[in-house]
Amino acid sequence: MSPQTALASDVFRFYVVIAAGLLIAAGTVLVVLRWGLHKDVDHAWQSYRGWLIMVPVVLLGIFLGRVVTIIFFTTLALWGFSEYARATGLYREWVMTGAVYIGIIAVGATALVPDPTTGVSGWYGLFIALPVYMIAVLLVIPIARNRAQGQLQVLALAIVGFVYFGWMFGHLAFLANARHAYSYLFYLLFAVELNDVAAYTCGKLMGRRQFRSNISPNKTWEGSLGALVVALILPWVLYFTFPDFQARDYILAGLIVGIGGQLGDLAISVIKRDIGIKDMGTAIPGHGGILDRIDSLIYVAPLFLHVVRYFHDLY
Amino acid sequence: MEPWRYDTAQDLNQPLIDRLRRFPREPAMLVYGVRLLAALLLRGWLRVYHRLRIVGREHLPTDRSFVLVANHASHLDALCLLAVLPLRKLHRAFPAAAEDYFFVSVPRLILSAVVINALPFDRHIDPQHSLNLCRQLLAHPGNILVIFPEGTRSVTGEIDRFKLGVGLVLAGTPYPVVPCYLHGTSAAWPKGAWFPKPRRVQVTIGQPRAYAHLSPDKESAIQICQELRDAVLALASDTAPSVITSQEGEAS
Repeated sequence: MSPQTALASDVFRFYVVIAAGLLIAAGTVLVVLRWGLHKDVDHAWQSYRGWLIMVPVVLLGIFLGRVVTIIFFTTLALWGFSEYARATGLYREWVMTGAVYIGIIAVGATALVPDPTTGVSGWYGLFIALPVYMIAVLLVIPIARNRAQGQLQVLALAIVGFVYFGWMFGHLAFLANARHAYSYLFYLLFAVELNDVAAYTCGKLMGRRQFRSNISPNKTWEGSLGALVVALILPWVLYFTFPDFQARDYILAGLIVGIGGQLGDLAISVIKRDIGIKDMGTAIPGHGGILDRIDSLIYVAPLFLHVVRYFHDLY
Repeated sequence: MEPWRYDTAQDLNQPLIDRLRRFPREPAMLVYGVRLLAALLLRGWLRVYHRLRIVGREHLPTDRSFVLVANHASHLDALCLLAVLPLRKLHRAFPAAAEDYFFVSVPRLILSAVVINALPFDRHIDPQHSLNLCRQLLAHPGNILVIFPEGTRSVTGEIDRFKLGVGLVLAGTPYPVVPCYLHGTSAAWPKGAWFPKPRRVQVTIGQPRAYAHLSPDKESAIQICQELRDAVLALASDTAPSVITSQEGEAS
């Protein structure tokens, strides 16, 4: 990945055109609704403005190459974890929080450095083993500070924070090392966000039965199934962006996004519901916090990486 | 099984800028990091560019909450007083700063909230609320409140009358107050100048005192303000000649 390969890559150019086209189309629809039909589109407009900033930032990051992409996703992981730490109150334990921040930076670093034995970029062995070392370090903190009261809660929050928001999301950064990094990264980003939109739209249009009433009352069976159908179709439509995929891989990629995306969303909803908050933060106007935007990606990215790696090898 | 209790950040739903505006601010690691870096740079700058000299540092009662008061003639004043404190107290020292000046525009807000760690003091509409904030701050052991009781930067070089706020905070409370005299800051960076000149600066720290024996009322406040102003003036007359001689000595 580099600016030169990005410009030469059909996949990269394809997704740039798709992103620009969707933004323009959505903007036109909003303009027509607002000024043509005098509908109230304030909420959608807020959300659209969020996209107007996010899409170019992500495209630019990936365009600038492997290093910037890894730094970008690591920064998102740090930001996401800080929202989680603020929401759960973990941030008051600054030693534990600081240790997780350092651990997340280590995730990015292992994705960045070459494997010492093979020389390929990304030290996969250490990347996969990081949670072991990290949990070992976190467990030492209460011991070193001679504290027991309330430490199980602090430890549990820190471990979930590191493993889920740092390490599992970090798989997205690691994908930047893959031979077909553009295919994988853009597919994941595009499919997951489309999946969210499809779930929302299908739910609005056909939603009758609540899906998980205690977790996210707005989600319906109809919305989730509709999103799954869209997710299953999408890889076949994008077949030309996957140089080495077969029918089996299209089905798996669709299932991972269609099911994993919904589960990632619900997983964050469980956390939010338990704490009793609506959004994880205010980082992106119209969307909530960073975590409200990347929730599905966190769940999907590691599954996708390991499936691809099992069948095709990353490099 | 009892459910866990989550101590969610009070400012969770506020955008970043509003979070900096509120007080007390929630701790944020990024802000702490930037503040530490800025403090190191500023301390270096004051030492090298202004030859900052500190006299009487042993008087600081850093094992508990206390108040620092000083004369005020320059934007350098707060920076100098912060540089006098041990670095571990960096995030526990709060200079009271005019809300209507330091907490309005975004660049100034970032500077006051992140770098200076200022307490937004409402001079006009509800000073009582701000005084309560000061009292709450001191009630937390180990906090340091920095106040310029003149209320604004003096342009004449004279030390103006002390406003009653500091007296009202201190009357009948056990918190020590440390009078300081800032010498040379007005010459180095007077009100209205856009960049400081490389002049010598000295901070003289006086003996701490407390006013637990006084009743918390206006008369005590007037008395405290008078005493503190006298203390600062006494420090001024004690220290100024030595600084002047040392400067002349170097000039010749």
